[in-house]
Amino acid sequence: MREGLAGKYVGAKVRRVEDRRLLTGRGRYIDDLNLPDMAHAAFLRSPYPHAHIRRVDIDSARRMAGVFLVLTGADMARLTNPFLGMMALDGLYDPVFYALATDRVRVVGDPVAIVVAESRRVAEDACELIDVEYEPIAAIANMAQAMDPMRPPIWPRARSNVLWEDSQTYGDVEVAFAGADRVIRERFAQHRQSNQPMETRGSVAEIDPVSGELIFHSATQSAHSLKWSLAFLLERTSVWRSIRELATNREKPRKFVVGARAFIKSHPDLRTATKSSQPAMLKQLRREPKRIVHLSEALLGLLAKDPSRRPRVLAQDIGGAFGAKGLVPREDVALATAALQLGRSVKWIEDRNEHLMVGGQAREETLDIDVAVTSDGTILGLKVHMTMDVGAYPGFPFNGAFFAQMVKVMMPGPYRIGALRFDTTITASNKGTYVPYRGPWAAETWVRERMIDVVARELGIGRADIRLANMIGADELPAAMVTGPPLDVRMSARRTLEEALRVADFDSWDAIRDQARSEGRIVGMGLATFIEAAPGPPKFFDYISPGFSALAGVEPAHAVLEVDGSLSVITQQVPHGQGHETTLAQVAADELGVAVEAVRVRYGDSSITPFSLFGTGGSRSAAMAGGVVTVAAQELRQRVVDIASDLMEASTEDIVIEDGHIHVAGTPAIGVSFAEVAAEAVRRRPGSPSDGAIRVTSEWDGGAGGWAQATHVCWVEIDLDTGLVTIPRYVVVEDCGELINPAIVDGQIRGGVAQGIGAVLYERAAYDGDANFQAGTFMDFLIPTAMEIPDVEIHHLQTPSDIFANYRGVGEGGMIAAPAALTNAIEDALAHLGARITEQHLPPARILELAGVIEAEAPTEVGPPDYSAAAAVPAPRPSLIRERMPTLTPAQAQAVRRTATSVRSGARRFADRYAGRP
Amino acid sequence: MSDDRCEVTVTVNGEERSLAVECRRTLAEVLREDLGLTGTHLGCEHGVCGACTVAVDGAAARSCLMLAVQADGCEIETVESLGTEEKLHPIQQAMWDEHGFQCAFCAPGFLMTVYCLLRENPAPTPEEIREELSGNLCRCTGYASILTGVQAALSRGAAADA
Ligand code: FES
Ligand code: FES
Repeated sequence: MREGLAGKYVGAKVRRVEDRRLLTGRGRYIDDLNLPDMAHAAFLRSPYPHAHIRRVDIDSARRMAGVFLVLTGADMARLTNPFLGMMALDGLYDPVFYALATDRVRVVGDPVAIVVAESRRVAEDACELIDVEYEPIAAIANMAQAMDPMRPPIWPRARSNVLWEDSQTYGDVEVAFAGADRVIRERFAQHRQSNQPMETRGSVAEIDPVSGELIFHSATQSAHSLKWSLAFLLERTSVWRSIRELATNREKPRKFVVGARAFIKSHPDLRTATKSSQPAMLKQLRREPKRIVHLSEALLGLLAKDPSRRPRVLAQDIGGAFGAKGLVPREDVALATAALQLGRSVKWIEDRNEHLMVGGQAREETLDIDVAVTSDGTILGLKVHMTMDVGAYPGFPFNGAFFAQMVKVMMPGPYRIGALRFDTTITASNKGTYVPYRGPWAAETWVRERMIDVVARELGIGRADIRLANMIGADELPAAMVTGPPLDVRMSARRTLEEALRVADFDSWDAIRDQARSEGRIVGMGLATFIEAAPGPPKFFDYISPGFSALAGVEPAHAVLEVDGSLSVITQQVPHGQGHETTLAQVAADELGVAVEAVRVRYGDSSITPFSLFGTGGSRSAAMAGGVVTVAAQELRQRVVDIASDLMEASTEDIVIEDGHIHVAGTPAIGVSFAEVAAEAVRRRPGSPSDGAIRVTSEWDGGAGGWAQATHVCWVEIDLDTGLVTIPRYVVVEDCGELINPAIVDGQIRGGVAQGIGAVLYERAAYDGDANFQAGTFMDFLIPTAMEIPDVEIHHLQTPSDIFANYRGVGEGGMIAAPAALTNAIEDALAHLGARITEQHLPPARILELAGVIEAEAPTEVGPPDYSAAAAVPAPRPSLIRERMPTLTPAQAQAVRRTATSVRSGARRFADRYAGRP
Repeated sequence: MSDDRCEVTVTVNGEERSLAVECRRTLAEVLREDLGLTGTHLGCEHGVCGACTVAVDGAAARSCLMLAVQADGCEIETVESLGTEEKLHPIQQAMWDEHGFQCAFCAPGFLMTVYCLLRENPAPTPEEIREELSGNLCRCTGYASILTGVQAALSRGAAADA
């Protein structure tokens, strides 16, 4: 069946390759995996937000029939390396902690023990027999409490619940503010949200009965990142034992070093990356010297470990993630440890209550913003202070603070903003882990687009006019954001806005709204425009974290002509709903001249997929994987053509491949098949053909890269009896370059919009004022249904361009813009009642409060103290590091210095050796 | 308490099965674990998401809220009864054509809900479809593609096969 247009699959609404198995119930999701003799795990979790653990008695649980093993935090400290924060942000306190709580619990749901039994039911029963003596401690429930110096820190080493403070200035902020006619100030608060894919997290730690090797099956967004994290965290080994191992068996680390050297050699920027973060890392070591022991145990252990002891990670079908499955779950480390201890496979599937409590929460951020404007509405500059509550345990390997950096860099968006001061405060609380959630930096769009409406209102300018006056147009490109990232000539945010205004007939809106009001109906319309770095300009990640592009900015892939003549694409992407088995096959099929079904996309197995720590996320698949598959398939085609031209004794230029048939142009009757080319390739190639007949490995750095952009328009109607908001119409005008599969693009946009609507009108990962979790079921955390989500009308624009692989991502955009468009519409609807929308969560009761229909209740989630007094006079900050450094005795200080020096020079020697320097 | 077993006889996808199961186990668990019918998914285990929807005597039911013993003597149909990879059921075919699902974890529940709906009401209005489907949660799609899929199935006479 040929679905492409004129022999081209890219651009066609090709039906998905994965659907036959998924629609018939034959998918292989993690919970569908059942291994012979597999045991089941359950976790005992803390009912307290914050408490000391005084005693854990596991005896009766261990004695229960059907129970195989019970492990606690003490076992984890003995058997595993701790999670060690790796965020090299100067001064950030990034804690050290274990898979299971050791001496203290810090969040409702904190895992205290793992029980492995013959069934999940028995394991859960046994959890109830574990006796834990807790001594509750006052909890940190919100930003205000975190900033209260009288409250002890939840991480004693941190000295405070403020984990990081930073201030950065771009452009001349003082001049911008001095030249302003008005400075308009507002505070905006995003509430705690949660990704909540329909499938929770889960893994099966399989132990090969013969070799004892660990095969870790998991619903993960990144197989290699999970593999190496587990290799780092599992099987703690003392430094001396590792050194002994290394001394007696020099072969062991050799392969590792050779591999690492090759990787570093092919990514020279890595050296810059490590160099710029070294001082911050050393500071962390100095602050908490125990880290040096943990780091050496983990790193030397990794080096000394037989490669067969490194887990192989396998991911198959995954029931969604939206960022929640990109980090390394603490539970996975406990699970793998239990399996290794038992020498037997163990399954853990999180239940929904657990997933709501500790499966990942996001976006609890408050932003204070000052805008310097002239009276005609020209925006001169911004001062923003963002406070982010990252909860108790930081995500590994991505601390929430990383995403605060993205908010900062993206703050100007597509607007001509010449000056920005961006202050960041990261606070800890006794709440769930901050994880990336679909457009984790989206606060920049919400706050900017909301604030533009506020400025328009204050100055009496139209909402479209102020946007048009300040948004960068095609005639000004290329340009650059004041924070650094360049905006190339394809940045078309303004075109999407102009088109959206036309589609929405914006000019007639005020009259329509006022007419409706006179009839007693409350209606509103809101606009929002965003740009997304998907994949962004070249080296985009270096603006977020210097050197990070070297780690994250390169996408690898293999294209293989198998021995039997079939074709495979092997990707490091781990699709979980995005349809890569189809889109990457479309791209390869077009290059290779075959049918889409002829290309098999393989993924998820760390033992066959090319190495990358990124996995699937960040709206990067289309641009990065689409790009690298194009490159790899082109090269594979060339190699196929070379052999075919020999076989047919024709010149390579005359060879064409059509519908899977290789022949000389003009004589389609005579030709060779891919199988014949494969046989010839095997014959010519010495050695074993286990890698296929022809195997091409390519890398792609995103090329010219670029931006995805869109303008959303949302209409609302509000019922002031019930507070219900309905959305009669929703329009998206977007430009993501060339579409690989329009049906998949539209699906991504619609899904994102639905999540944005859910976040604003329904969902909240709520805690009470003592940090007790309040949203443990789907009756408390309300995901919208087909009744609540409107039809979304999508208009595609494509800025003409002949650049190679002109694909840009759409995975997150829907959710980035929807909260802004929707809240802007709600304020428009309620403006005549004096309502000011400064928070993102607007369930019916809150709508009624804002409209003045009912009295407002006191909020439970309290933001940071008002910065406005401080904002007026920029407060000189003493070095926070020095302020909070633990006081060391002179002897300790000297020991730390000595260690730091030798670590530094050792690291330099290693780096030099990897780089091939004498 | 794990020895507390009950005899259950059910017809699953046309085949009669007699089992001795722990009385506290749900129908969903028995379908998935004992009968290997892993197409029925568990998204919440508390009756909200609908991923576990199966047909019990022709009516859509949440197999996570039903004990296996409650199904004694009943006729159960799961997603595996609809079509095969080689020959999709018209509802599955329509969902395939319309890109109904993304991660498809919710798909079995939606398919069984639609199957039961069309059996009961061969010509539902768009409003009725929306309302009926509101008992199933999907986190990926925003529902539009699923609703289009149901319309496509209807217009091709899928109700006759339900
Ligand atoms: S699993 Fe049964 S309704 Fe969610
Ligand atoms: S397609 Fe993923 S939950 Fe519905």
